[in-house]
This record gives sequence, structure tokens and C-alpha cells, in this order.
Amino acid sequence: MTRTGLLGATVALALLACAGTPARADKLADIMKSGTIRISTDVAIPPAGMMNAQMQPTGSDVETAELLAHDWGLKLQFVPTTGPTRIPNVLSGKADIIISTLSVTPDRAKVIDFSRAYTVLQSVVGGGPAIKVTSLAGLRGMTVAVTRGTTQDTELTGLAAANGFTVQRYDDDATLVTAGATGQSPLIATSVALIDAVKQKNPASDFAPKFVLDNFDIAIGLKKGEPRLLAKLNEWVLANLRNGKLNDIYKKFYKTDLPAAMRPPLVQ
Amino acid sequence: MTLVPLGPNQIAFLLHGAVWTVVLSLIACLGGGALGMVVALCRVAPLRAVRAAAAVYIQAVQGTPPLVAMFLLYFGLPGLGLNVPSLLAASLALIVNVSAFLGEIWRGCIESVPRPQWEAAECLALSRTQRMLRVILPQAVRIAIPPTVGFSVQVIKNTSLASVVGFVELARAGQIVNNSVFQPFLIYLLIAAIYFAMCFPLSWLNRVLERRTGGWRRRPAALTAAIPVVSA
Repeated sequence: MTRTGLLGATVALALLACAGTPARADKLADIMKSGTIRISTDVAIPPAGMMNAQMQPTGSDVETAELLAHDWGLKLQFVPTTGPTRIPNVLSGKADIIISTLSVTPDRAKVIDFSRAYTVLQSVVGGGPAIKVTSLAGLRGMTVAVTRGTTQDTELTGLAAANGFTVQRYDDDATLVTAGATGQSPLIATSVALIDAVKQKNPASDFAPKFVLDNFDIAIGLKKGEPRLLAKLNEWVLANLRNGKLNDIYKKFYKTDLPAAMRPPLVQ
Repeated sequence: MTLVPLGPNQIAFLLHGAVWTVVLSLIACLGGGALGMVVALCRVAPLRAVRAAAAVYIQAVQGTPPLVAMFLLYFGLPGLGLNVPSLLAASLALIVNVSAFLGEIWRGCIESVPRPQWEAAECLALSRTQRMLRVILPQAVRIAIPPTVGFSVQVIKNTSLASVVGFVELARAGQIVNNSVFQPFLIYLLIAAIYFAMCFPLSWLNRVLERRTGGWRRRPAALTAAIPVVSA
């Protein structure tokens, strides 16, 4: 089955969840009572979620989830997920929240609620030195590779027809990086960190960012109709943007600060 | 970003995934086999309604992907108040899928026992149950070995679908490891080797079982030669 089919099933489930769920106890109260927060995080989307040399989860989303659980005095339980099943996990109650490079899109906002953005995902188009492009318009006639189902996929697919380029999709980030490093795909759209990974895999490719596609707001996802949980998440995000902790996590994995617009003045 | 080297921790993670692939395969084959036997017997039942019901079941299951079944069981049932763990959702979906395919394979095997065998058993005044247990099934089992083993090998590889419900089996473990070490050729070759190590013993078992059950009696060479060749 295709991911599109899965998406269809997700929407069907969302309808089912909206139609058939009776009013339940408050989610925040449930979480606090259980003493454990279940967070849906994909551990195969580096550098947000990945495994370290000891095969323990690490990455910017993993550290964000750990920080949140620590601040709230809860035990953290990661709910294993793949990209397409992040949202079904919270809709079906398998997980309490999503911290997994979930960018805020209008389509997703119909199905789940988003917290205030806690980080950004900078997408760039990158390639080797032989290719000279500086903007979307310059892509005419070319093929850009993306990871299937990512925000870059959605965005470029929408722009492809008008700008005359083709989108080629790979199943996961590692395959996308391999496509770049082996020369199968001379142009790829992804995060800066992965463009850097291509160059590490094959220094001769000399992959570098060509132009910035977009900065996507990344937020925590939760089931609709949980105002208390949403308010507490927003409060937590704001506090940790203010005290610089979320910026520290971002800087550790992306080697640069969060955009200035995202960083409220430091509060001592 | 820093790429992680491929070391013993990564191999251990892959092997841990492989263990779950084996567990899921065993559940699917044993559970699906038991249910498949019922389906096959229903397909050759004397009552027309039972035969028709079994045929509808087989068509419905064979025509729907197990991936969808897993997804609906895992994410759909909680909406009805039933919380299904990923192993249960994956097991149920695979058991149902395997039962339909094995049911139809075995129906074919039962029906391919030569007609005179059925007639001879009836002439001996054996009851229907006796005819099945004593005459037909022992011969059908022998015919069923190669397609059953072949299908079981497919089932092992189909367990990779379970990653959709967050189940970390061999293929998903490989994907996770690959997304931290970025060495796809090595990782996928390793995964292929582990799958082969699981599937090859089954093919070997196939040969042993065929020999044990007598195999097909070879036609004597002299007799084969004696058959006149009819040509135009």
C-alpha cells in the first residue's frame, strides 16, 4: 500500500475518533496521575531522532522530550513510530504528544492541535559545485530528490508543475543521503545537517547548500480538545525558549542558533 | 553531524530485531496454519453453504493487504475502547492473512489426491472422517510440503510490514541503524544475510520432510522408457 493510502486511513481514523469518542477525563490530569508521559518520536530522522553509538535514542527531539519529562517530573516513555504514523499514535491514544520534527501545516491542524513552535526546520536545496542554482526558478528542467512524506516533499510537489522541475522521492533520510553521495541525485532538498552528511559520506561530491527553501515551524502535536495540556505545553515552550535551553539543544545538533525571531529576550 | 560507526551495539540491535522477526513468523505460521487447516476443510466440506462461506473468506482476505489490516487493528480499535498492543495487531493480521492463503493451498492439495483414492476409501465403507484422516490427508500432506514451505518463506519476509504499527523487527531495525551509521550497502547486505539465514533452514527442512514422507515414488526407468512416444 502507498503512503497516500495510509494518509487516507489516517483521515478516516480521525473522523472515527471525532465522531465516536465520548467526553473523557482531562489528558493532562491522566498524564500527571500515571507519572509517565508517552511521547511519539521517530528515531530514524537524523539529527532530530537517531541512535547513538550505544544504540540509545539521541537527537534534538529526543533531548527536547527528555527536557520536558524532566521539567514536569515525569517518567519518559518513547512510543516507537515511523513518519506517517506519528499523528495516528496520538489520535488513537497510543501516545500523549508528538515531538518528532512535526511541522505546522494547515492540513495537520485540521486533525490535531499544535503547541507554540519550539524549534524550526531549515530546509535547503543542496548539490555539488557543478550545479549553479540560486532559487526555485533556476530548477526548471532539473530533478530534486526528497525524503517521502516530509515537509520538503509536500512543498516541492506543490511547486513542481508551476516551476517545471521533477520531484524524486526516497524512503528515508539515509537513502536520500546515499543518493546524493553516490551521484544518483545531484540535487537534494533536506535539512542543512543532512547536506553536511552527504559531504561526509563522499567528500569528492562537495555537496553544499544552494538556497534556503523555507524555515518550517516545528511544534508539539497533541489530540484536539485538550486545552489544559495545550496551555501547559505552550507555557513550557515559552519558558525554555526564554531560558535558552531549547536554543542550546538546537545549537548542539544543528551547529547554529535558532532564528532571532524565535528567541524571546533572555530572562535571568 | 557526526556519523556513528558500525559496531557490536549496532549488530546487537539488528539481531534483536531478527529475534522479533522469528517470533512474529512463528506466530503467523503456527496460528495461520491452524486456522488455515479449518479453512481448507471448510472448502471441501459436503455442505455447500460452508464451502461458499470459506470461499468468500479467502477472496476477502487475499484481496486486502495485511498492512491495512494491521493499521486498522492497531490504530482503529482504540477508538472503540480496545487497546491493542503492536505484537497482537501484527500477529492477528498475519494469522488471518496466512490462514486464507494456506487454506486455499491445502484445499488444492486435498483435491489433488487422485479420485480413485476417494472412491476406494468409500468402497471400504470408511466414514467421511475416517476417509479424510486415514486416506486423503496423509497423501495430501506430502503434496502440500513444497508449497507450504515456499509460502512460509514469504511469511517471514512479510513480517517486515509490522513496522507500520511501531514494531521493530529486522527490516525496521535495519532502517533505524542505517539512519545513524549511513552505510546502506553494508546494512542492507547484513539484513539480507540474516533473512537468508532464517529462510534457508526452511528450504532444507522441505527436502528432509519430503524424504521422510516417502516423496514421490519414482517411476522405474525401464517403465518410463517403455511408454510409447505418441507423435504426430
